[in-house]
Amino acid sequence: MVAPLRTSAPGNQDPVPVRAQHRLRLWDRWDRRVSPYLFIAPFFVLYAIFGLYPLGFTAWVSLHEWGIAGQAGFVGADNYVRLFGDPDFWNAVVNTVGMFIMSTVPQLLIALILASLLNQKLRGVTLFRLGVLAPIVTSVAAVGIMFSQIFDRDAGLANGLLGLVGVSPIDWRADRLPSWFAISTMVDWRWTGYNALIYLAAMQAVPAVLYEAAVVDGASKVRQFFSITVPMIRPTLIFTVIVSTIGGLQLFTEPLIFGSGDYAILGGSLRQFQTVSMYMFENAFRNFDYGYGSAVALMIFLMIVVVAAVNYLISRRMR
Amino acid sequence: MRVRKLLAGSLAGVLLAAVTACGGGESGGSDGTTLVVKTFGQFGYDELYKQYESSHPGIKIKEENIAKLGDYSPKLQQWLAAGSGAGDVVAIEEGVLVQFMGQPDKFVNLLDHGAGELKGNFLDWKWQQALTRDGSKLVGLGTDVGAQGMCYRTDLFEKAGLPTDRDEVGKLWPTWDAYLATGQKFVAANKDAGFFDSAGNIYTNILMQQGDHTYYDTDNKLVIDSNPGVKTAWDQATQMIAAGLSADIAAYSPQWNAGFKNGKFATIPCPSWMLATIEKQAGPENAGKWDVAKVPGTGAVRGGSFLAVPTQSKHQAEAAELAKFLTSPEGQTAAFTSKNNFPSSPQAIDDTAVQSATNKYFNDAPVGKIFGDSVKALKPVYLGPNNLAIGDRVTAALTAVEQDKLSADAAWAKALEDAKRAG
Amino acid sequence: MTERRASPLVYISLLAAVALSVFPLYWLFVIATRSNDVIGDWPPPLTPGGNLGDNLGRLFGTEEAYFLKGMVNSAISAVVVTVAVVFFSSLAGFAFAKLRFRGRNALLLVILATMMIPVQMGIIPLYMIMVKLGWQNQLQAVVVPFLVSAFGVFLMRQYAERAVPDELVEAAVVDGSSTFRTFWSVVLPALRPGAAVLGLLTFMGTWNEFLWPLAVLEADNPTVQVSLSQLSTAYYTDYTLMFAGALVAILPLLFVFIAFGRQIIGGIMEGAVKA
Repeated sequence: MVAPLRTSAPGNQDPVPVRAQHRLRLWDRWDRRVSPYLFIAPFFVLYAIFGLYPLGFTAWVSLHEWGIAGQAGFVGADNYVRLFGDPDFWNAVVNTVGMFIMSTVPQLLIALILASLLNQKLRGVTLFRLGVLAPIVTSVAAVGIMFSQIFDRDAGLANGLLGLVGVSPIDWRADRLPSWFAISTMVDWRWTGYNALIYLAAMQAVPAVLYEAAVVDGASKVRQFFSITVPMIRPTLIFTVIVSTIGGLQLFTEPLIFGSGDYAILGGSLRQFQTVSMYMFENAFRNFDYGYGSAVALMIFLMIVVVAAVNYLISRRMR
Repeated sequence: MRVRKLLAGSLAGVLLAAVTACGGGESGGSDGTTLVVKTFGQFGYDELYKQYESSHPGIKIKEENIAKLGDYSPKLQQWLAAGSGAGDVVAIEEGVLVQFMGQPDKFVNLLDHGAGELKGNFLDWKWQQALTRDGSKLVGLGTDVGAQGMCYRTDLFEKAGLPTDRDEVGKLWPTWDAYLATGQKFVAANKDAGFFDSAGNIYTNILMQQGDHTYYDTDNKLVIDSNPGVKTAWDQATQMIAAGLSADIAAYSPQWNAGFKNGKFATIPCPSWMLATIEKQAGPENAGKWDVAKVPGTGAVRGGSFLAVPTQSKHQAEAAELAKFLTSPEGQTAAFTSKNNFPSSPQAIDDTAVQSATNKYFNDAPVGKIFGDSVKALKPVYLGPNNLAIGDRVTAALTAVEQDKLSADAAWAKALEDAKRAG
Repeated sequence: MTERRASPLVYISLLAAVALSVFPLYWLFVIATRSNDVIGDWPPPLTPGGNLGDNLGRLFGTEEAYFLKGMVNSAISAVVVTVAVVFFSSLAGFAFAKLRFRGRNALLLVILATMMIPVQMGIIPLYMIMVKLGWQNQLQAVVVPFLVSAFGVFLMRQYAERAVPDELVEAAVVDGSSTFRTFWSVVLPALRPGAAVLGLLTFMGTWNEFLWPLAVLEADNPTVQVSLSQLSTAYYTDYTLMFAGALVAILPLLFVFIAFGRQIIGGIMEGAVKA
């Protein structure tokens, strides 16, 4: 569209009239000054209404006694004081962090190993890549349906397989570690392949000369992996850690569907797998206490802000 | 290049869609009024709607149902808090109703719509439950009461050498102690199934037979640790766990639903409204395997609902008329014959259609008589504000005992502590 | 690219990884083609049966689930949201990466700090906004609030910073091209791989979104995930029906995935390095 305008009249050497030039310059200045704001305006307008306003409103609610009937008085920091002395809240924090570690560490380690396996001369490499990436098409609801069946105490696939090697059935929902394990499995199954491909990309960007030099020095493959690959892809590693952390801190649907039953929102009999998001939902929607629920919500937000800030600082330093 | 064309094309599409969406707006028909009724579980109103529509030209009724009470209650709160979405008539379960009694402004005062003269149509305590303390506002009209029975699997009973006839089965357990003894016989003979699904159900049932209040006294003071009834119910439930009677399957979980079909437990205390659930989950292939006997102990009410008209309704008068119709003795009788939701209206309870009703799926059990007997012995129970949250915590502690994670004493201590924090 | 030759052990490990990844999906398919009486059998059924048609018939015949409507709703919302997010994110991401303006850093910080506000958290206020707009139980309620994404802006800003050389922008400006024209004809093509990743992630995220549609839509106008959860709470003992539903629900994504698999992988990998 641009090109024809320029080439349409090759013989026309007439200078642009002065007044038009002036107008162009004005337009140009206006364009430069205003365009950036126009470009970000759609985002910020919509984001302010549907993202920031609810956030601010939640903060406002958290400072009130706020029940089903609506606002019932300003209480200042009372909800937060209560929160800090609430063992169920801290239990949920421990569970959230625990499940986050239990899912993220193996997930990223396996992804790293997968990536280095894929980073070789392979036949059918695309098929392998597609294969490990396939689970990301599955929705949380479908994952919940499948894995609830797999980790069923009485008729589940997992216990059936364990039975074959002589292990007695595990009540996956009863204890902390088995339930964490089952939930982490749901998360990892979906996201390991995706992270592996991200690592693979980073690995392929590592200059081959580094490896060649290492081979000359007689370094083993394992040595090469730890002394060259890992340091070279560190920014990518950190990126995936941050993204997983943000996802992990909001963990909600998987444990909820896994728990099942009328009291699923409690996350097990002793709240062994209740996450902070579930605790927020329990307070706001099961116990009719929006004020307190909003305070919990704001704590999730705070945790995420801390992570995002760390993200920002680290990525700045890495540059 | 392709990306840009794609983007340009789709952007135009998006704009168009946005414009048409905004232009579309309200498409409600101008002729006639549509009343939206919000329910959970199974209310059995389909026939009644048709009747009402044909006798009230210009009124259309649309029921919006959510299967699980646990999913319905949060949405109901959300609609009421936001001031929109609740439709014209809402069903409210009795445990939730207590929450709303503190804010009668959210609901139309049905006394303003001539409900006062209907007082005689309801069991007195059912009427009182939805009436504000000062008697000036009526929030809801009663639908059903959770009359109690004990459902059991005849095939499993037979395998365990127990009687299968419902009268004889009822005689097995005049008391909960006798129920426990029967259970011990059952589990000794049958290793593949539990005697009941989970202790939480049993506990709640016993608790509701322990007098006129549970966790709160009528002044809304938390009395969980001083009300002997709570401890009695707890002790009996934990004794049954210790005797190995529980299948340890959480209520309303997928495993629970499947358990009705696969015979994972032999009995379950079944309030009248649960029969429809059992029939649906156990499926047609198990017709005749489930039966209903009388419940151990003396009658108790558990569950039961109300219909209310939220003030956000744009058709309050019409909605109130509909609620009055659905909760009338005739309406309650129809709901009972359809889904076995037991009436809260004395006239309906005495109606021969109710008295002589049998349920084909449950071996032609005379459900009208079984539940009717239990309702006559009914005493109203006062629930108090946070009864749901506290109930959750106590049953969770019971589950911990079932899962062998806490001793009965430790779990009790924990339940008390949690309850105090929630209350 | 390293030149190491792969040993059989590598192939075996990779095959195992692929098997673990794909098996649950295959098993989903197997159950969806079976009848209910095989459920709970041991060993479990591992080959497809002949009941897929029957199960699908029941799935679409179960009126209370509104499954077809859910599919259509999800398709519309996912497409609209994806296009909008990609466009607005590219636009804003480009501005943050390549244009100079007052308040740029402060505004960027706002995005970073609020990048992933959990949906759960704003449900009640967001619902109140929907009520004000009269949008409860209407499709735009699951579309309009998600037309922009802070994460998207962040991602595209990171991507644009590396993928769009400053000289390219400057050259266009010297040519007298307006800022928007520069964006449209020079920057956008360069952002293609990053936009593809963002588009894919957004499409999947919208298709799979669960909590908010559950809160704002009613059973008679659901998205596919809401419809699926209706099936699973109301008809849980009918496993094959649910598995058939889950299968149909992932088919569109599976199709996109098979058709554009190479490009998706290329996009993820390119996007990852640049970001």
